[in-house]
Amino acid sequence: MNLAWDDALWAAAALSVDPAGLRGVWLRCPHGPVRDAWLATLNQLHPQARRLPNHADAERLLGGLDLSATLQTGRAVHQAGLLQQASPTVLLLPMAERLPDDTAAILGQVLDQGMVGSAPTCIGLAALDEALDDEPPLAGGLQERLGIWLDLRQLGRADGADEDSQMMLAALPLQDMQAMRQHVQQVQANDAQMQALCQTAMALGVDSLRAPIAALRLACVLSGLRGFDNVQDEDLGRAARLVLTPRATRVPPPPEQPEQEPAPPEPQPEPETPPENDAADETPEPPEPPEDPQALSPQQMADILLEAALATLPADVLKQLGEASKPPTAGRGQGRSGDRRISLSRGTPLPPRPGNPRQGARLHILATLNAAVPRQKLRQTTHSRTRVAVRMEDVHIHRFAEHSPTCLIFAIDASGSAALHRLAEAKGAVELLLAKSYARRDQVCVIGFRGTTAEVLLPPSKSLVRAKRSLSGLPGGGGTPLATAIQSCLQVALAEKRLGHSPSLVMLCDGRPNVGLQGQGGRAQALEDALTLAGLWRGHGLPAIWLDTSARPEPQAQQLAQAMGARYVPLPLANSQRMAQAIQTASRHTELVSRHTEPASRHTEPFRAKVPTSA
Amino acid sequence: MAIPFPFSAIVAQDEMKLAIQIVAVDPKVGGVLALGDRGTGKSTAVRALADLLPPIQVVKGCRYGCDPSSSAATCPDCERLKSGKKVATETKPVPVVDLPLGATEDRVVGALDLEQALSQGVKAFSPGLLAQANRGFLYIDEVNLLEDHLVDLLIDVAASGENVVEREGLSVRHPARFVLVGSGNPEEGELRPQLLDRFGLSVEVRTPQDLDQRVLVIKRRDAFERDPEAFRYSYAADNEALRKHILKARKALDKVVAGDDLLRTCAQLCQKLGTDGLRAELTLMRASRAYAALQGSKTVKTEHLRVIAPLALRHRLRRNPLDDTGSGTRVQRALEEVLGS
Repeated sequence: MNLAWDDALWAAAALSVDPAGLRGVWLRCPHGPVRDAWLATLNQLHPQARRLPNHADAERLLGGLDLSATLQTGRAVHQAGLLQQASPTVLLLPMAERLPDDTAAILGQVLDQGMVGSAPTCIGLAALDEALDDEPPLAGGLQERLGIWLDLRQLGRADGADEDSQMMLAALPLQDMQAMRQHVQQVQANDAQMQALCQTAMALGVDSLRAPIAALRLACVLSGLRGFDNVQDEDLGRAARLVLTPRATRVPPPPEQPEQEPAPPEPQPEPETPPENDAADETPEPPEPPEDPQALSPQQMADILLEAALATLPADVLKQLGEASKPPTAGRGQGRSGDRRISLSRGTPLPPRPGNPRQGARLHILATLNAAVPRQKLRQTTHSRTRVAVRMEDVHIHRFAEHSPTCLIFAIDASGSAALHRLAEAKGAVELLLAKSYARRDQVCVIGFRGTTAEVLLPPSKSLVRAKRSLSGLPGGGGTPLATAIQSCLQVALAEKRLGHSPSLVMLCDGRPNVGLQGQGGRAQALEDALTLAGLWRGHGLPAIWLDTSARPEPQAQQLAQAMGARYVPLPLANSQRMAQAIQTASRHTELVSRHTEPASRHTEPFRAKVPTSA
Repeated sequence: MAIPFPFSAIVAQDEMKLAIQIVAVDPKVGGVLALGDRGTGKSTAVRALADLLPPIQVVKGCRYGCDPSSSAATCPDCERLKSGKKVATETKPVPVVDLPLGATEDRVVGALDLEQALSQGVKAFSPGLLAQANRGFLYIDEVNLLEDHLVDLLIDVAASGENVVEREGLSVRHPARFVLVGSGNPEEGELRPQLLDRFGLSVEVRTPQDLDQRVLVIKRRDAFERDPEAFRYSYAADNEALRKHILKARKALDKVVAGDDLLRTCAQLCQKLGTDGLRAELTLMRASRAYAALQGSKTVKTEHLRVIAPLALRHRLRRNPLDDTGSGTRVQRALEEVLGS
């Protein structure tokens, strides 16, 4: 049996026993047999599980006045909210990655307090997240609160084989759920175990204190499920794998081996490298429960626990960790609210709001009528009975969320080294791109740098003509003040961001800075300054593309691009057509331009067809 | 109400606890803004706030929780209730109201009472969260993700202390004096400077990095979740002592003197840091006075100022995108220059 699948089943069992204590599961898995098998297991254990549509509004979630019933009967009829569950219930949240922020906020608050209004509630969530790798997952605030994180994306069909789950479920003493819930509450952990959990969390770089709290709860439930009164070390390991490992932000340093030989049972020498997550690979058993748990020092227990936790770290963990430690991008999930803008005319629809239908806003008829209906009785004195009396205060308007306009900042290296080779090509490429961004109504800004200064040749503007003129007037020669250039780009970008625009940078440079921030020469200092500022750019989570204009790919440029968090595109031999194309293909993969190609594809389809596609 | 985690059982987080105590002593300091990662215990500390405050006297039946001692009727309910000879009163715990991110304007400001409109055909006002928070605290989790129209609304009400409703054919004004408490993760979005300015103090919250403290946190949390009432009971004495301490400081507050020298130092500090407006000086002075009262001192001394300055000034500094040293360090540096140590 696959360790990950085994853990997943235990997670389902634990959730069904104590949904409110564990708060829930964040299940990352595409729709498919594996997820179906897991859900079937959960359903079998917990038939009361309900689905929670992710478009449910606050009223439906928290309860409120039942409009239609109230109108019918003429007296106030209240309806209970979906979140109001007196008995322990698991709520399934399909397509959790699409959950609107406000709903996520309400769910988080209810999970925190265990209350809906003034009535206690007892719910846990199973958030089914289908987000692909490059898509934003479930809202961060809710992720944090859900105790168990399950990632079943790596599992194949065979792993979800039915006999396994049948066997395990049959072995669980769950005939009397009520008794089991009471029993689980009595399970205790000792001090050494708590300490081991905290130490493991720290070793894995899990900063939030909600994680060890949830892990402790899970360990208690798991041991309770197996009929014990005390937390067993095996369950502690499983809890660590389900709660702490997925939240890891770093791989702990290998423990200093020999010094004190661990005396108790010869611990299975775990391979130093995390095991491959292959079906063929023999998944390591969780460490043997020692004969006498009291004999272990907390340190030894923590070591064992850490090993157990590391058992499920996938092979490509380093890559993932790299992703996790990336600063938040401006995309969804982390502060996405800054990225969208409310519009009255276009975009994805938002709930209507009261407002004046003039000034470019459109009347939302349904919402307007909805607002008018409850007040009909009030208005009958002044209006005839046959008509619906609609007043100004009922009027609702359409609202849309629109992606904020993009500002492309071109930073062009016009130093001697670049001017010799590629300045003309770069200029050509920028002109081609300008034409395209003009069609998309993006703003563009051009910054040229040479000698000791970086000059804003064109402040953010939509004027194509001015952009072209500023480009053709750009002379070449002099040093490469890269740090100064990034500094000006950052200033422009932050100013744009304050205006509610989404800035992104296209850097055309050969990555060989030789002028520092203070205008002094010297390659070493120049590189150091450039790296510092690149880090600053990355810290702001702004998107960027680095086009390496040197004759052959330059490792230093690559290093700088990485420090900036930019996508690196080497352009060994190219003409401007190919350069423009490279930017387009690169940007299609990054968030950089995908954000604005999306609306563009709708509005400028004919235009795109006309763009010459040169090989 | 759900049973809150007892304030005195919160481990570490000294700065956060200090800021909350200062606001409890003198609500005029303004609100508290807690910035930090998730899972650092920000919400827990804020929700435990009600523990620190003695219950308040309110006009019985008033939905806005008005003070019976003030003679003027400021809210629609009191116009009716205070017209009689004798005003009936009752005691209530200080309200700590949660404002969820996705809240609609209706819920925040108040709206037409649908229930009454539908069943009796009466046009009545149903007060919103702002009315509930009157004379208490309004807590906004993830304040940096709050929608713009709500931010505008809050900025206005927080400054004027009065909520004016002119919508849906209703025309109501009622007092809404509350202390804003916000929490959020600054990496996820920035706050508008105007809203930042409404917060008196700001604290940076971090998870304790000490193993023993962490173990203590999860141990206490575990005990609390198993039996909240028993857990609260075991901390009742500590909470009571803390409450008395705060009450004492409140009484002493008026007698605490801030000398001219000190005020000059405050002004110098703010000048050095280039904070906009005079609110920084005022808050700094008020908060230092409250802190001195908490410490049982009759005069405000520079050591009080030294503790309070980072809290009161940190969030008021002009952002410098090229200087990535934390604003706390910048305040510290200015302190050293001004106080010369």
